[in-house]
Amino acid sequence: MKNLLFLLMLMVIIGLAGCNFGGDSSNESSTEDTIENSSENTGTVGEETSGKVINLTSDGDIPTLDSAHAHDGIAFTVLNNVNEGLYRGDDAHNPELAMAEDHQVSEDGLVHTFLIRDAQWSNGEAVTANDFEYAWKRVFEEVGHYNVMFETAGIKNASAIIAGDMTPDDLGIVALDEKTLEITVENPSALLNQLLTFPIFLPLNQAHVEEVGDTFGTEAETILSNGPFLLDSWQQDQGWVYKKNPDYWDAETVSLDQINVNVVKEVSTAVNLWESDAVDRITISSSYVDEYENDENFANVVRPEVIFMRFNHNHEHFANENIRKAIDMTIDKEGLTNTILNNGSVPLYSLVPQEFSYSPNEEVDFRELNGEFNQGSVEEAIALWEDGLSEIDSDGFEMSLMSSDDDNHVKSAEFIKNQLESNLEGITVNIKTVPFEARLENEKAVEYDMVISSWGPDYSDPMTYIDMWVTDGPANRMDFSDDEFDSIVAEANVETDAEVRYQLLLDAEKKLMDEMHIAPLYQSADALLTRSKIKGIVRHPSAPEYEYKWADVE
Amino acid sequence: MQHNRPKITKDLFVHEPMKKRSAEEIEGPPSSFWKEARVRLFKNKGAVLGLIIIIIISIMAIVGPMMNNFHYDDQDLLRSNLPPLVPGMEWLGLNGENSHGTNIYEENSITDNNAWIGTDEFGRDLWTRLWSGTQISLFIALTAAFLDLVIGVLYGGISAFYGGKIDDIMQRIVEVLIGIPNLILIILFILILEPGVTSIILAMVITGWVNMSRIVRGQVLQLKGQEFILASKALGASNSQLIWKHLIPNVMGPIIVTLMFTIPTAIFFEAFLSFIGLGIQPPLASLGTLIENGYQEMRYFSYKLIFPAIVISAIMISFNVLGDGLRDALDPKMRK
Amino acid sequence: MGRYVVQRMGYMVITLLIIVTITFFLMQLLPGTPFSNPEKLSERQLELMSAKYGLDKPLAIQYMTYIGNLIQGDLGLSFQSEGRTVISMIGDRIGPSALIGGQAVVIGVLCGFILGVISALKHNTIFDYGSVFVAVIGMSIPSFVFAALMQYYIGVQWGLLPVALWKDYSYSIMPSLALSAMVIATVARFIRSEMLEVLGQEFVTTARAKGITEFVVIIRHVLRNALIPVVTVLGPLTVSIMTGTLVIEKIFAVPGLGEQFTLSILVNDYSVILGITLFYSALFIFIVFIVDILYGILDPRISMGGGKKDAA
Repeated sequence: MKNLLFLLMLMVIIGLAGCNFGGDSSNESSTEDTIENSSENTGTVGEETSGKVINLTSDGDIPTLDSAHAHDGIAFTVLNNVNEGLYRGDDAHNPELAMAEDHQVSEDGLVHTFLIRDAQWSNGEAVTANDFEYAWKRVFEEVGHYNVMFETAGIKNASAIIAGDMTPDDLGIVALDEKTLEITVENPSALLNQLLTFPIFLPLNQAHVEEVGDTFGTEAETILSNGPFLLDSWQQDQGWVYKKNPDYWDAETVSLDQINVNVVKEVSTAVNLWESDAVDRITISSSYVDEYENDENFANVVRPEVIFMRFNHNHEHFANENIRKAIDMTIDKEGLTNTILNNGSVPLYSLVPQEFSYSPNEEVDFRELNGEFNQGSVEEAIALWEDGLSEIDSDGFEMSLMSSDDDNHVKSAEFIKNQLESNLEGITVNIKTVPFEARLENEKAVEYDMVISSWGPDYSDPMTYIDMWVTDGPANRMDFSDDEFDSIVAEANVETDAEVRYQLLLDAEKKLMDEMHIAPLYQSADALLTRSKIKGIVRHPSAPEYEYKWADVE
Repeated sequence: MQHNRPKITKDLFVHEPMKKRSAEEIEGPPSSFWKEARVRLFKNKGAVLGLIIIIIISIMAIVGPMMNNFHYDDQDLLRSNLPPLVPGMEWLGLNGENSHGTNIYEENSITDNNAWIGTDEFGRDLWTRLWSGTQISLFIALTAAFLDLVIGVLYGGISAFYGGKIDDIMQRIVEVLIGIPNLILIILFILILEPGVTSIILAMVITGWVNMSRIVRGQVLQLKGQEFILASKALGASNSQLIWKHLIPNVMGPIIVTLMFTIPTAIFFEAFLSFIGLGIQPPLASLGTLIENGYQEMRYFSYKLIFPAIVISAIMISFNVLGDGLRDALDPKMRK
Repeated sequence: MGRYVVQRMGYMVITLLIIVTITFFLMQLLPGTPFSNPEKLSERQLELMSAKYGLDKPLAIQYMTYIGNLIQGDLGLSFQSEGRTVISMIGDRIGPSALIGGQAVVIGVLCGFILGVISALKHNTIFDYGSVFVAVIGMSIPSFVFAALMQYYIGVQWGLLPVALWKDYSYSIMPSLALSAMVIATVARFIRSEMLEVLGQEFVTTARAKGITEFVVIIRHVLRNALIPVVTVLGPLTVSIMTGTLVIEKIFAVPGLGEQFTLSILVNDYSVILGITLFYSALFIFIVFIVDILYGILDPRISMGGGKKDAA
């Protein structure tokens, strides 16, 4: 009798296991569509006869496709290729008119009038000026991640809305009629067009968004497209598929028919997929560089992400300029990038990275104009160190060097510890690696001695690095305060003459770096493998990163 | 039978004081349990070999880092990524050539202080790092395993032995402990205690003992009803005597097998913690971190993975055969 | 028996409630905010977002709200994957994890069982050493190394199976095999050790003396007793394997639950942490319950709920 009961129990377990498999088979059947798609097409990659398909990888899933909430590079790239705002970055990273056909600026530079071109959403409805007005105001109602971009762009009343003094309805954007959009800004801004390529400024079809409600942006089916590609499918954590948008206003420019993106989080896996021809473009880590550096498909591409050390300015020793300079100068940055990291990263002796910003008229690299800071031999560093110690009457000290768990950051920390301890007498460095969130909390509370940090640009202008360091700025996080620096930045913020403004930015960086308030380490780079038949993938220095509009397969 | 039987009076009897210890004493050759176990253990060739390897590795963990003149954190970028080179052992692949077959030593004209098993990208000598890493890993694994053992056996033993309400409550506590994601506990633990060896060990032990306690509980439950326990109870054995003299020796087998699993788990768990920035603080090395790094570079710098993997496998295999031997040696039923 | 089951069910609910409560409050102690890309958030923006998601309210109120929603079957929305419900996230990801985990357990138990039985019956022979060796290798080589080697040789070099990704059934084979190594090792070791133990006991000798064939002795007496500790280990092991393993999922690019869980803890995705914890604990507690009942089947000496039962 009891045995019978047990038997029943056993059957329940087996039944449960069956449920799991059952649930899974339904899951599989839904993925089958994509298999068929890809198997149909992988065979045709490279063949000119039928569709042009490329297979890419992504190191993570798309968090959300709601442009108000999107906050990471993956989502920005997808949004940028599926949708289109007033401006789009061209292949030289300059903003060019996109959804807008025409852009008129009032004489005082405060009122911008855009004429929306004849374009349509993927549900057939026309893109109107109201789509922009709705989308922009919605960002504030939704408390979007990046609503600070409206402040950066100087859109009228954005700051007051964020501060809670006004409502989203007061935002300086009005749809005058179906096709005419009027935007008012607080100050004339040289950056506006460039900023408008950022995905938070994308339009939304109000009727559609309200219809799908809460599910907006969570599935491929719940978004509409007005850009070069349609998002054909999106399997959570597996990948997504773009297809050419036949109704895109500039569809003739788009050559690719399909882009398959697979989520692959391990570099070794990506390399194996590359070897088996399953993907056409991957990013590899430094350990694979030696193996592939002579491959014709290999390329190193520098990114505008800077890695640097913050000094805690409340720390008695780091308040001393010579000690900061000595520490920075002691580190063999070239050895760090060429031997330890070995992934194309370049040594950094400044705040603003190279190949990021060019002067308004002569088009000279910012880096070239300002030169490098605090380069010198170990002997010079030791001299500075001794000067510094005697100035504050110290014979050395023990400190902690905090780093997050990022592989490259930890390697840098190990290298720096050894460099400092073996060259500077009396210094003891204790490495403290913590998860990223913990590092950030410690940074915000300025509870560290030195910390390895990184910063990627929000927009393509040196200001994105420079205004980090204003007194009590949200990205300062080291209690650095300098009145002169603050006033240069304030001046640059309201300066409308591009030349003069650029000079102010150069001065600001000089002010900061002459006293070595941070110790720059390196500028990141990616080691990429791309099949040579793929041409024309544009990579912008700031988000949105990738542009497939002009990509092609030979 | 019916002769003059002397009258039996009470004073004929002398009260023999009850000796608790001798309650179950078996008359016979006084061979102690441990002595016999030792004899049986040494008869087992595999176990002896395992023991020897463990001893050798432990000695190397102490002596190894001193065998050449490198310190585990001696960086030298000119010696970055040197392949292994041992003169006279070129046939073993320790020939200073990288996977393209170029001799890096000749190419960079390095003549002295060849790295026996290569160097890493910092130019640190891997031989030194391997053995100092072994030292740390063994320390962490053994300490964690020992604490798991003590807590797990006590908890599982008590829970099963007393049974009933006590068992119920203790098992529900275990379920709660298992339910709370231990990564959260570990992160909190390590953030409060500062990252380091102590906090890693403690973090591992918080939930690590649960498995052991479950095994012990299952075994004790099974043994509890058996005749020899009843007999012992009838002979007046106290609870602690029952646990230590009968139950524990009888559950030794599964305990040792579980313990053998705890050691690799602890070593790899430490590697996992390092991976998310909560483990051993660099530049210290552990077997786990060496394997983790070696794995990242196994395609081109395979030596970075092979040597730590050999050591870890040797440790595992030795602990296993030794564990097997111990199991047999300690099993009371194997007594002749 | 019925009463026992009901009582255990009651305990299960209470245990789950305690787990959720403790996790809820511990989680708040983790450094950082649940929002993604926190590096770029200003203090004001953090305030606004906290207010929107109700994180500015006192913890007790947040807790009551969570429990209230939980009772209605609502696990909330993810903070990191904005707009997605935790239930749909678990639902999407448990399938692949359960498939490769389930297959791994089946392969592992079958192979481990055979290896364990052989090595116990042929104790101290070449077969014994052979299977012990296999088991030890399975245990001592880290699963990621094993997985990487398989991926390189079987996938890239020989092209027998897909390298990675998750598209049809064939994509699940390699991850399952890689994962089963550990199960094989565990099962083989326990079966061997237990069988050796049981083989030495009197009732086996008695059974043999009674003239029962060796096969029947093994099946009816030895295996039945040897299975107890195996079941103890296997229950929880099955839960942890089927709910996802970080490393294997990452290497084979399987969209599973294991990675999601670790990630959610590292980025403080509160609702996802709680949701997966709840799911995992419920499954675990249930399996423990089943294991306890299985004890009764396998070993008649253990009785349920204190009721007396005769020895078999």
